[in-house]
Amino acid sequence: MSAGHQQATGNINSFNNNNSFNNIVNFITNLDDEGRQILQWLSPLEPQQRHQGVRADRLDSVGNWVLETSVFREWRDAENSNLEQVLFCHGNPGVGKTYVR
Amino acid sequence: MAQMLLTISNDSSLVIDSLCDQAEGKDVAVVGLYCDFHTQHEQSTTNMLGAMLKQLASRGGIPNHTRKAFREAKEKFGGRGLLLPGMVDIFKKTTTSLSRLFICIDALDESPSKHRRELIESLREIVQASPGARVFLTGRPHIDDEIVRCFSKVLRIPLSPTHRDIRSYLEMRLDRDADPNAMDDELRADIMRIVPEKVSEM
Repeated sequence: MSAGHQQATGNINSFNNNNSFNNIVNFITNLDDEGRQILQWLSPLEPQQRHQGVRADRLDSVGNWVLETSVFREWRDAENSNLEQVLFCHGNPGVGKTYVR
Repeated sequence: MAQMLLTISNDSSLVIDSLCDQAEGKDVAVVGLYCDFHTQHEQSTTNMLGAMLKQLASRGGIPNHTRKAFREAKEKFGGRGLLLPGMVDIFKKTTTSLSRLFICIDALDESPSKHRRELIESLREIVQASPGARVFLTGRPHIDDEIVRCFSKVLRIPLSPTHRDIRSYLEMRLDRDADPNAMDDELRADIMRIVPEKVSEM
């Protein structure tokens, strides 16, 4: 394990905390050549960048109610079991843009 | 379509943030991605799973088994890209020891049906190998059958625009309350819970 690798793992808890985008950049910067090749080999997609964009635009009060539902909590906190725990939030298009402004 | 993506994305970003906040400092990982109708040619199932492995790598480093698989692929096939079974195998080895893994896939209905089926089946295989895994999906209701077919326990939350509009409106009105002293947290919570329910029943 390289020093850069250790530094990166110490800093990062998730891909999308406030500092995490920088952390990912640091992680990649500090990675050895083979490590960079491996990331490219795994996937060309960079989904965390999209998330940052969406997050910046978000109106904080919208959607909080999802987190408060008993269904969400049941899914999040369920004990481990052989059941595959899936939460499906479904909706149709048709919400006006004014809603998220 | 674009509007749908926008609003649902907002909700699942929130979910991802909330899970990350909760996960901080624990042996818990949150990964997520968005299916995007406009970039579906890049979004093969293998690429999508790989993108989530990259998120895991930036959290916990590149696991030795992944390095080993990469070196073998390089020697044998000149670094050829991974095929789906190999990707699923690497994913399972990476996640099986996590006490909690949240996998969030946003706008699943935007991925083409062939990819979607592959993705759902791959997720099932991964989740079956990781008892701590939880899957969060968003999409339009018509993909419900495909999800139910693959997973043993599916919980649902309907994202009704009307319901959410009502909540947003209520919050705005409560924030502008001319007599805030008459309000307390409990009453506010009751209003926010009961009024949208009643309106939805109308």
